[in-house]
Amino acid sequence: MGVILDIRGLKVFYGIHEAVCGVDMEINEGEITAVIGSNGAGKTTIINAISGMVPRQGEIRYSGAPLPAQANRVVRQGVVQVPEGRKIFAGLTVEENLTAGAYTVKNRKEIERLLQEQYEMFPRLKERRRQDAGTLSGGEQQMLAICRGLMAKPKVLMLDEPSLGLAPVVVNEVFHNIQRICQEGITVILVEQNAKKSLSICDRAYVIETGRVVISGTGGEMLENPEVASAYLGTARDQ
Amino acid sequence: MTFQLFISGISLGSVYALIAVGFAIVFSILKFSNFAHGGMISACAYIGYFFLSAFETPPPFAVTVLFTTVCGVLLALLVDVVAYRRIRRKQAPNIYYFLASITIAILIEQILSVFFGKNLYGYPAIFKNTTFNIGSIRFSSVDTLILMVSLAILAVLLYVINGTRIGLAIRAVAISPSTSRLMGMNSDVIIVVVFAIAGALAGISGVLLGMKYSVYPSLGPSMMIKGFIASVIGGLGSLGGAITAAVALGIVEIFLTYWIGSLSAPIVLFGIMLVFLAIRPEGISGRFAKDKV
Repeated sequence: MGVILDIRGLKVFYGIHEAVCGVDMEINEGEITAVIGSNGAGKTTIINAISGMVPRQGEIRYSGAPLPAQANRVVRQGVVQVPEGRKIFAGLTVEENLTAGAYTVKNRKEIERLLQEQYEMFPRLKERRRQDAGTLSGGEQQMLAICRGLMAKPKVLMLDEPSLGLAPVVVNEVFHNIQRICQEGITVILVEQNAKKSLSICDRAYVIETGRVVISGTGGEMLENPEVASAYLGTARDQ
Repeated sequence: MTFQLFISGISLGSVYALIAVGFAIVFSILKFSNFAHGGMISACAYIGYFFLSAFETPPPFAVTVLFTTVCGVLLALLVDVVAYRRIRRKQAPNIYYFLASITIAILIEQILSVFFGKNLYGYPAIFKNTTFNIGSIRFSSVDTLILMVSLAILAVLLYVINGTRIGLAIRAVAISPSTSRLMGMNSDVIIVVVFAIAGALAGISGVLLGMKYSVYPSLGPSMMIKGFIASVIGGLGSLGGAITAAVALGIVEIFLTYWIGSLSAPIVLFGIMLVFLAIRPEGISGRFAKDKV
């Protein structure tokens, strides 16, 4: 497996505040990489920096070549983010949301094929395709957000807190689908506060604290790691 | 007579609708009231006039509209570069957009006053007969033409917004510029496209108003107030609401003018407005366009 995203010395400043302070990460092609850490550690900022949503310093190489810094060009290259809080376009229908996701796809037939693909994966979206997306339940909105991301034909899909605010049953469904997406050959970066669940499905994981990588390793190693266990899995003591 | 008033009201309302959607489309994206639109309409009315009178035999109506539309687009892009682009780069609060747009509106009106303010300019007549009859009902040629053109333009606009890729992008950016960027949309480009569309609408409404009334520097601003009202009654940012409200406004205005005269009509009209806003502040469409956070 090659490295699809190679991140070296990534820094992000908000004014004078350094939110990400020199992060190195290697994202392997075809794997699920989990990025875990507590609220405010800088996880979202890292993927926003990859997406070109915030100005960044440092180097990001994508399949060997530098990744563009402008958000719209990053998407065109196949690096797509499903944002935290789902950010569904309320007021647009389910189908319009999906079509908006395929903005970078010019071919109408291809868009139609992608739509059918999503509807096959989530028949509920098909039932509601003419409905205002704002009226969907939280779980359905998360599915829609993921499908909208898939409409851009990503090579790398970055999911920001996909389990946030969802019922446990729905969380299981979401995680199951993330694994399925990975099996289809899409590289997944999973940013999560739900450490236990994400470590159990990921190939590799990075723990972020105050803008730095503090621990990294395979999912299995991390689950065994006493530091990770105490800080993020809530087994030893509460942080 | 009632039917003729009705037609005339719809015709007037359709021009208000063109102005209102020009207003509403910018509001939906940038959440500010683009008062420069009125100045643009005046400028385009003059451009249309001078284009028509530059030739021995006036060029066809369609050519005039096309020329003015192109000028409207160019003017809008110029205003964007001069007044709005830097505000956008600095991500300044919307109040700066608002101030810049008022400044531009006054600037254009004053420039026009300095150069052309002394005279009223009347468009050369494009019809031999100012009216025609269908059965016993008499129609005004100019009003009918205005109605046809406005409806056609509105239909095209609604198609672009609701049926095309760029239209979907405009609606997406209106809902959330940052999420749109994650879809690969270049929100800066979309914003410029929206200004260009508004400019085209200003160009067309400028010519139509110039044909209906004589041309004077505050023509655009005074008409724009009606378009602005329509877009507020319609629910700011909603195109369908703006069109409905504009046509209703045109009809009410014509009937009021007929019954109580052109001086008193605005008093009642604006009175109705206030009552409407008190009862239903969210507008006809029933949705507030949410402010940018």
